[in-house]
Amino acid sequence: MTVLDSVLQILVSGITLGGMYAVSAIGLALLWGVMGMLNMAHGSLIAIGAYASVFAVGYLGGTWYLGLPAAMIVGCLAGVLLYFATARWMVGSGQFEMNIIIATVGVAIVVKSLLIIGFTGYPQRQPFALEGGIYLGNVLVPYQTMLIVCVAIILMMALSWLLKATRMGRAIRATAQSQKAAALMGIPAERIYLQVMVIAGVLAAISGVLISSTANTSPSLGEVTMLKVFIICVVAGLGNIPGTILISFALAVLEAAIQYALSAKWAFPLLLGIAVMILIWRPYGLFGAARIRKV
Amino acid sequence: MSARQNIALALGLLVVLAAIPLLTSSRYVLGQFILFFIWFGVVTQWNLVFGVAGIFSLAQMMIFAVGGYASAMLAFHLQWAMWLTVIVGGCAAVVTSTVIGFATLRLRGAYVALLTLAIAAAMQALIIADTDCLSFETGTCITLTGGASGLSRFGDFGFRELLGYRSAVLGEYYLGLLLITVGSAFAFLIINSPLGHAFRALRDNSACAAARGIDRIKYQVMVFSLAGFFSGLLGGFYAGHFNAIGPSILDFSTLLFLLTSMIVGGVGRFWGPLAGCAAMMLFDELLMGLEEWRAVGLGVFTVVAVILFPQGIVGFLESGELRRIGSQLTGLSAQIHHFVKKAPGQ
Repeated sequence: MTVLDSVLQILVSGITLGGMYAVSAIGLALLWGVMGMLNMAHGSLIAIGAYASVFAVGYLGGTWYLGLPAAMIVGCLAGVLLYFATARWMVGSGQFEMNIIIATVGVAIVVKSLLIIGFTGYPQRQPFALEGGIYLGNVLVPYQTMLIVCVAIILMMALSWLLKATRMGRAIRATAQSQKAAALMGIPAERIYLQVMVIAGVLAAISGVLISSTANTSPSLGEVTMLKVFIICVVAGLGNIPGTILISFALAVLEAAIQYALSAKWAFPLLLGIAVMILIWRPYGLFGAARIRKV
Repeated sequence: MSARQNIALALGLLVVLAAIPLLTSSRYVLGQFILFFIWFGVVTQWNLVFGVAGIFSLAQMMIFAVGGYASAMLAFHLQWAMWLTVIVGGCAAVVTSTVIGFATLRLRGAYVALLTLAIAAAMQALIIADTDCLSFETGTCITLTGGASGLSRFGDFGFRELLGYRSAVLGEYYLGLLLITVGSAFAFLIINSPLGHAFRALRDNSACAAARGIDRIKYQVMVFSLAGFFSGLLGGFYAGHFNAIGPSILDFSTLLFLLTSMIVGGVGRFWGPLAGCAAMMLFDELLMGLEEWRAVGLGVFTVVAVILFPQGIVGFLESGELRRIGSQLTGLSAQIHHFVKKAPGQ
């Protein structure tokens, strides 16, 4: 294989990973940006989405592509449930930032155990997958990769339209900028929070379907992904959506390159090491604005 | 509560805990108590960093693991005595903790949480990835850290030879009790010393504290170093007690169990770690028979506890809330009493 082939190979797997990470990371960044909520149940939402697709296609016997809408519906419900189980009772309280972490951790434990009880702990195949691919030179580009990248791009465009052009999006952005000012303009914060939770739930569920289509569906699927997505969000600067998308792809290509050049076992520790270095260098992430607190 | 009341309560509890082996000789019960001592001790130190100093560090289990691994590796590869390696483990933990204190200096809030989480995850990933053989012993590959399966059978505290097989657990029980007593006394001193006041001032309003001449860098690094020592000692004690250590102590679930204990008990409060660890372990024990539903119950308990007691159990007890409910109950019982007394006459 030539150098060009190697680079192409790294890019193909990097972009696949990046698409999946980006979809997941946007939801997390949105929750942080709007509510200041670090959602530890994000991994659960990812796993719920993956299992929703498995259930709709594998157990109920739908066609393979029905997995995605099934995951979206279940992800939406999961977002609503998560809001009413946790954030609804805490938003605005002094210890919100800390207590929401613990509450969502509790939810994550419950969801993981329920998934094990319902679907057993054994990995299952994700039906939302395409066989085969085309050759670009010597490099095989699977159809699955193209499917993942297409879904990711469509979602990002849809979200950016939602946030930029709709009334709801304007309200969400206003609340993110200043909840108090937005409330004074008549935007009910609680409704915005619920909407953001639903958006995050749907995005996480879809990313769960995409991620499990390249690996397997298992109850702990979300945990490793969640950690990577967290790293992406902090390296980009929490709450910064365009930065998050860029870093998703950058770190994913980096991960693919390390996997290709060294071995798979070094990819995760090295990635973490790089993230730690970046944070020490830039404490608010690469694109996060340092919030200067006035006394 | 005044300092004197706190000390009286602590001494009373200490007597009760010291008397427990007189009441039961069940190895299971004593073992659970030792585990409780370990978790309670770790959460006490974590509470100093997280609750008192207000630094969102999630590196606590990693510091604990450094202490545990340092003592286990010295005992395993160099055959050092466990008593000595535990001390070395404590010192190794201090170094690690201080470095983390420096690394997180410029970060705030959730960034600290995620950075420290990333460091802990990196350590676990590196241990699991450690497959290079250091030496061969009877055909098995011995790696530096033991890799995914961990290290075991490297020695213990020698209570078995000293006290006999049956009473060995007693030695470890009292050693654990000693460790948490010293650790808690240390935490109590910190919380009530000028150092503790400085931490609280920095947590509540760092700009104002800095203007009064409190050096945040100095204090942050200091709290990390101090809390690191006992965490490391406890890590070594854990390794010696179980005579084994593995990467699973760095599992997310263990970290979260302890974090939940700290929050449920009451962050930044002296009695918080005790109340939280006791509540979580008791609840976990109660759900023992439920098998796979046990984790579900624990998760639900966590969510409900955080929603009902946002200040933790100790915070709830300290606030006037309990007295209010109490007076309501007395009022209610007086009404019932009144009603019952009136009833026969009708």
